[in-house]
Amino acid sequence: MQSNKPNNEKVLKIFSAIRCLSRDQLPRYMEGRLTDVERHLVEQHLTDCDLCYDALTALEQEENTERYQDLTNKLQRYVQNSIQPVSHVQKIAQYTRKEKNKENMLAYFWIIAFIGLGVGSVYVLRGHIRNQPPVRIMASSVPQKDSVREEVATGVPLVTAAENNAGTTTTPAPAATPATQTSAKPATTPVHPDSAALKKAAALKALQKKAAADSIRKHTLLQKQADSLKKETADKAAAAKAKEEEKKPDQKPEQKPVQKEKEQAPPPEPAKRETPSTAVNSDEYLYKAAMVYQQQGNLNEAISRYKRIESVSSGKYVEMARYQLAICYRSKGQAGKARRMFKEVIRMDGSMKAAAQQALDSM
Amino acid sequence: MQQQLTNLSDKELISRARKQLDREAEGVLMDRYSHLLVAVTIPYLSSQPNLDPNIVFPALLQRLNASLKTQTIYKANEWILHIQKGYLGKPEKNIPFYPSRDGRDLLHIENTVDKAATNIIDRQDLIVRLEQALQRLSADDNALITQFYLENKSFADLTAATGLPREKLRSQLKAAKAKLAKLFMNQGYAK
Repeated sequence: MQSNKPNNEKVLKIFSAIRCLSRDQLPRYMEGRLTDVERHLVEQHLTDCDLCYDALTALEQEENTERYQDLTNKLQRYVQNSIQPVSHVQKIAQYTRKEKNKENMLAYFWIIAFIGLGVGSVYVLRGHIRNQPPVRIMASSVPQKDSVREEVATGVPLVTAAENNAGTTTTPAPAATPATQTSAKPATTPVHPDSAALKKAAALKALQKKAAADSIRKHTLLQKQADSLKKETADKAAAAKAKEEEKKPDQKPEQKPVQKEKEQAPPPEPAKRETPSTAVNSDEYLYKAAMVYQQQGNLNEAISRYKRIESVSSGKYVEMARYQLAICYRSKGQAGKARRMFKEVIRMDGSMKAAAQQALDSM
Repeated sequence: MQQQLTNLSDKELISRARKQLDREAEGVLMDRYSHLLVAVTIPYLSSQPNLDPNIVFPALLQRLNASLKTQTIYKANEWILHIQKGYLGKPEKNIPFYPSRDGRDLLHIENTVDKAATNIIDRQDLIVRLEQALQRLSADDNALITQFYLENKSFADLTAATGLPREKLRSQLKAAKAKLAKLFMNQGYAK
């Protein structure tokens, strides 16, 4: 194929690009130490390239090539020294810059992340506080438990502790006094003094028991709180009602100032309860409201309240409500119902058991 | 890296130096042409003793570096010669390098030939057209080109045959080649 048209292929040679003469080609061409093919290629290039041709003629005119060699070496060294180290330095600089940028970005990221987290948590917390009061109640009740354990353990069954204080000035647990002082006023007005006496004795026993089984009680209290959380939705409605209704008892005492001193005492108390913290348990509200009715002699209303507590709430308030329900029935003269209630209280086997047993025995 | 770069073509090195700001590529390019630059500059250094090679060459390199980033460079050798001549002729003036129309024609044909190397159909077509152009060339030019390129005669042979000095012979060859390129291009446009 090639032998057929050798000239044809060679035509392309006219316009084929050839590289400039290399450093060792130049002297070799001058000295005629090139092969025919190489020389031809060099000459082809020389026709086109002014730079190479000028260089060739300049070198041919120069007598000694030492200067050329020397200068070339110097220039190459200069190029290598000036350009390559710089490029290396540049690379290092670029790398360090990149790393720095990365670190900065990371720092910014974390700062932004923490700020975001902080803002988010504040927002969520506010939302919680606004929308879910029971959560806050729990939060407030926990420190109370921590600081005044005795109070929580013994003073929470308001009736017993209160009446215990009302009757006997000497309390077995001195730690329980702050709690009893606060809850003393409403409890000082039992409807029936005999029942109060019974309660006193029962409470004493109960207190002793509680002091012994303090840790167990704490555990149960925690459970109760959990239960109350579960019934949160139901409590909300009840709490709202209780609040509404508590306003009424506040007004009622003003309407009936003629009543006993004992009866006058309770109204300010629930108010006190309200003011120190909005975090008072809804059960407690209901219970207190019912107590107020009971103390004012509105037994039917009180009974309905207690029944509601019994159905809605949980834990100790159910027990206490049942106990009070029994007392209400007894004072109404419905001995059968009262007995049944007392029996139920006994069956619940809580803190009111002894008092209920005593009351039942005395009936 | 150095080894890899030395194998690259001028065009590649220039584009690297430009687009990636690769000083190493630039260094390889300068290194490749340093001996020619020195050889071309030596006559000036000998004729003008006030020129210090320690100043001239760094300044030249700086100028080359500056123009590398801004100018269109078709052929590195032409560009270097232009910058060198500009610097040594009128150092205060920096004339931008711009290849002539003929130079660009030549470059175009060289690129076409280069591309056709791997394509038989293109190559055949190119050969036919080149021969046609060659036929239309004047007899003297045709003979010169045929002898030099197709019959592989050296400068020495041709000078001996024609009695012309090498310089003259070279310029004649160059002119003939330029004419051929022009004919080829016009043929291309006529087609």
